[in-house]
Amino acid sequence: MSAKTQEEKAREQLIDLAAEFYDQFARGEIPEMQLPTRTKSNIEYDEDSNVWVYGDRTSTRSANSVRGARKLLKAIYTIDFLAQQLDQDRSSTLRELYYLSESWDNEEAQFNDQDESNQLVEDLEIVSEVTREDFHMRPEESGATLMGPIRIREQTRRGEREIHCQDDVGEGGYQIPNNPDTIEFLEHDVDFVLCVETGGMRDRLVENGFDEQYNVLVVHLKGQPARATRRITKRLHDELDLPVTVFTDGDPWSYRIYGSVAYGSIKSAHLSEYLATPAAQYVGIRPQDIVDYDLPTDPLSDSDINALESELEDPRFQTDFWREQIELQLEIGKKAEQQALASRGLDFVTDTYLPERLTEMGIL
Amino acid sequence: MTSFQSTLGEDEGIAEELAASQREISIAEFFEKNKHMLGFDSGARGLVTAVKEAVDNALDACEEAGVAPDIYVEVSEVGDYYRLVVEDNGPGITKAQLPKVFGKLLYGSRFHAREQSRGQQGIGISAAVLFSQLTSGKPAKITSRTQGAAEANYYELIIDTDTNEPEIKAESETSWDRSHGTRIELEMEANMRARAQLHDYIKHTAVVNPHARLELREPGIDEPLKFERATDQLPAETEEIRPHPHGVELGTLIKMLEATESYSVSGFLQEEFTRVGKKTADKVVNNFRDRYFGREMSWPTPESVDVEAILIGAVSGKGKEATAAFATGVADVLASRDRTCHADLVEIVDNVAESVEAETGKTFGDTVRENAVEAAWDAMTTGRVDDGEADAAVGDADDDAVEVEPESVLRAPLYAVVDDATSTQKDDATVQGLAERLAADFEALDDFRHRLTHSELKRLVDDAADRMVEFDEVTFGETARENVVASLWAKTRTVPDEAPKVRDVAANRDTASALLDAMRETDILAPPTDCLSPITAELLEEGLRKEYDADFYAAATRDAEVHGGDPFIVEAGIAYGGDLAAEGQVDLLRFANRVPLVYQRGACATTDVVKRIGWRNYGLDQPGGSGMPNGPAVIMIHVASTNVPFTSESKDALANIPAIEDEIELAIREAARELKSYLNKRRSMEKRREKQDVLGKILPQMATKVSEVTGRERPEIDGALARIMNNVSVERVVTEGEVTLRVENYSDRTETPEITDIVSVEPQGLNGDASVVDLDGEWFVKWSPSVSAGETAELTYQVADDADFDIQVDGVEAEKLTVQN
Repeated sequence: MSAKTQEEKAREQLIDLAAEFYDQFARGEIPEMQLPTRTKSNIEYDEDSNVWVYGDRTSTRSANSVRGARKLLKAIYTIDFLAQQLDQDRSSTLRELYYLSESWDNEEAQFNDQDESNQLVEDLEIVSEVTREDFHMRPEESGATLMGPIRIREQTRRGEREIHCQDDVGEGGYQIPNNPDTIEFLEHDVDFVLCVETGGMRDRLVENGFDEQYNVLVVHLKGQPARATRRITKRLHDELDLPVTVFTDGDPWSYRIYGSVAYGSIKSAHLSEYLATPAAQYVGIRPQDIVDYDLPTDPLSDSDINALESELEDPRFQTDFWREQIELQLEIGKKAEQQALASRGLDFVTDTYLPERLTEMGIL
Repeated sequence: MTSFQSTLGEDEGIAEELAASQREISIAEFFEKNKHMLGFDSGARGLVTAVKEAVDNALDACEEAGVAPDIYVEVSEVGDYYRLVVEDNGPGITKAQLPKVFGKLLYGSRFHAREQSRGQQGIGISAAVLFSQLTSGKPAKITSRTQGAAEANYYELIIDTDTNEPEIKAESETSWDRSHGTRIELEMEANMRARAQLHDYIKHTAVVNPHARLELREPGIDEPLKFERATDQLPAETEEIRPHPHGVELGTLIKMLEATESYSVSGFLQEEFTRVGKKTADKVVNNFRDRYFGREMSWPTPESVDVEAILIGAVSGKGKEATAAFATGVADVLASRDRTCHADLVEIVDNVAESVEAETGKTFGDTVRENAVEAAWDAMTTGRVDDGEADAAVGDADDDAVEVEPESVLRAPLYAVVDDATSTQKDDATVQGLAERLAADFEALDDFRHRLTHSELKRLVDDAADRMVEFDEVTFGETARENVVASLWAKTRTVPDEAPKVRDVAANRDTASALLDAMRETDILAPPTDCLSPITAELLEEGLRKEYDADFYAAATRDAEVHGGDPFIVEAGIAYGGDLAAEGQVDLLRFANRVPLVYQRGACATTDVVKRIGWRNYGLDQPGGSGMPNGPAVIMIHVASTNVPFTSESKDALANIPAIEDEIELAIREAARELKSYLNKRRSMEKRREKQDVLGKILPQMATKVSEVTGRERPEIDGALARIMNNVSVERVVTEGEVTLRVENYSDRTETPEITDIVSVEPQGLNGDASVVDLDGEWFVKWSPSVSAGETAELTYQVADDADFDIQVDGVEAEKLTVQN
């Protein structure tokens, strides 16, 4: 099975990392680890894959400082743990890793907070070129769901399951597993994929039968989408050749949700090729919609304005569309939620707004 | 007073009655009632002040005699009183001087001298005598032995508070173990509540007088407090200087004028003041004359005036030829000059008259000359410009009727000056108007020579301008007026009159004040500074080192500066760390002319300066970023001056003089900069040590874990450790009887470790520049290579197999060193 070899490869990579430290010690050198600089200024557009990846700049994590040494010590302890976990074919969550560190014999190696352990796992992903999922590390909750006319086969710990994502599931839809690569797409009537930011809007679309009416696969993003959600979206696009659209609130934070679906996030730019769907199109809410449909709005807060201005500099938003929309929004000084469409009635979104927008975008 | 007022007029004898109850009070009596002014306001404080005054005197006496001071202070309880004894090894005091020194207030060699010394007013020690006498009723007991005297003299002395006269009550010869010196014994009502201040005073005195030996015994301590000498070097002897012209007050000046033997002001200045030579004296005298006599306004000779004709008319009976020669001569000179004042004219007339006399043999007597001068001056200053051109001037019927008269000859030159001095925004009518009025005013001057002082000129211009503003409704502001005055003043000349003699100046307060102004106005070199004796930064540090057990010391001495004619030098020192108390505020030690200031810290300029410095910049904790800093530090400040400005007679606090405060700040900052770099270095050392501690723990753990994960043997990590620490690694490797000592220098500069490898068997075949010493069966291999940054040095030798080693490394800071055996 290919998964087995994946795990073996992951384990080898981890041991290789440790061996690198070993060799550095043996040469009388100061152990260090090179990582791409994970800041906005160091992500670049990759022409081949149409996604945003880390640039050339790297930072060195060296044991030459107290801080650096602590990080490396934690890294080697984590490597040890992950290698053992793979050995025993177990898995654990990021949060479990954090608590698990409390049991380590060395206080210096224990994590101060979960951000630290999460970041370290990401670091290890980058240097070992193995994804977290292959380390058998999963996030605490994913919970994102699918709803639409597609039949899939999932390999679970309790055997294979075939599921139709409309007929075999309840109102809540099909829960995306942590490692969506265990899913096989069997057959479908899907015309396009619609990723929705909020639960309220997703429920509205399902209640109004939008998925059935237009053969839509509704993906619930649940805010900033988890990796699994982004991964399955990419697979739906790549493997089934489905157009992907993203429907969010009309504020700067939601544009970043779209950005991470389409181009990848700054934190996981090393996985952009694996997670990002550059062909994803943004439906709304656009600042233009706020004007056109005269939607109820909230004023932009200072942090909203800062976020918008920072997006104008963000390499992921350097298109005419985004520059126009962001500048418009700064000009009108307003933002709107998806639910604002309800001001025109509960069916407005499914009867009018989405059909109009999707037609305009050439999806319908 | 009200009762007197109500009866005023009823009783004509009231003034006499009051006068009868008024009588002269002696200074002693005055101070009896004002003890607090001298620092004797309480028994506790009185004792400290008495010690202070006696010790200050003793130190001064010793230093003047060139003797390293050895001073003994004893306080003991005697019944209800405290007895204070202060002994010194100074030159002693002669019998004639003794009562005056100890018994007469305001007697001292110091008051009139411009020289740095501890006591200045001559109040201190006699006030202590007085205080003891007033509280205990006992006389002061003084023993003195002059150098070479066979026996010491013993006196009992009291002060008659009515007359300020000391009286020797008893006197005898006595023996004394000191070969020379003075001992004073005072009994007074006192208490030891100010023990801390007393100790501080003695201790701080020891800090700033490292050349002195001090000993203090008092009832509260079992062992005497002894402060030994840190140096035999006495403070540099100071030169007495005469006062500086910028530093005297009017009263002092008048006294000096009265006392001087000089006849002329110039002689007086050169004789009595420092930094005044002939040239400077001349400058001062000129300025003085300008103030005393005023200056004469000069005028151009008007073209409309025929001077020649006027002079011919004024001279009679000298023959046509001589008269014409004289008139032409004067007219020519005047025509060649831009401007002429009355005194110039007198001189010109005299010169021309004399040369004409020489040529023609005619005598031009005083009357003729005076007539000529008067006629010419009259024409030059009161003449009228010919009609015809005058119409062009301002015509305003409402003006104060000047216009109807023909134009004064003064108007054109005044117009030129005013026009020049005022901005272009003033319209021509205004300038004309002012010139018009000024011309009339000059003509109306009482002094026809147009002699006026600066203030008179200013008043003249102000008057004219005020009238302008009033009648012409134009503005003529302060700046414009000042400019006009300045321009006119520039056209005036110093008069040739002799400056008043010294006795005349002394006799008249206003004249003396004019002289003082002239002195202050004149640029004069700063006073010399050899009258000052700073402790010097080196000895200051020595003094701190002696009395405070700290980790760090720094001191700075500034160059001399001048305030109000008195030169001063500021010094600052800082001690930090060690045994100094880490909690609470730093200790501030204040000194003036080597005397510790114990009381009134809050009122002192030094305290203000320390508080306003941002100590956080220098690595000290300072809550709120201002105020007294906290931490284990002592800050000391010494101000030496010929005249230290205190806030009061008790000499407890320095007055806030900006010039002195600035120097204090600079001195403190200079010392504080050293503190800062010391603290920075210490912090980086601490960081290095912390890093070493943490990494020394983490890296081995990391190595262990790495070997676990990889399943390999634990890697050797010492090389990595040494490199991480940026330090010097000394390593011994023994392979089959071959010993290699390796020094690897990972720091950023050359290191010279001194390595001693103690070997239990004799090392052979030493390869490298090391030496071996045999000490009782142990061999000391001594090696101190110089290893530059990033380099490695090696030493090899052979030993038998069962050798034991013990390596010691010196010469490298412990924090930087990693030794691997």
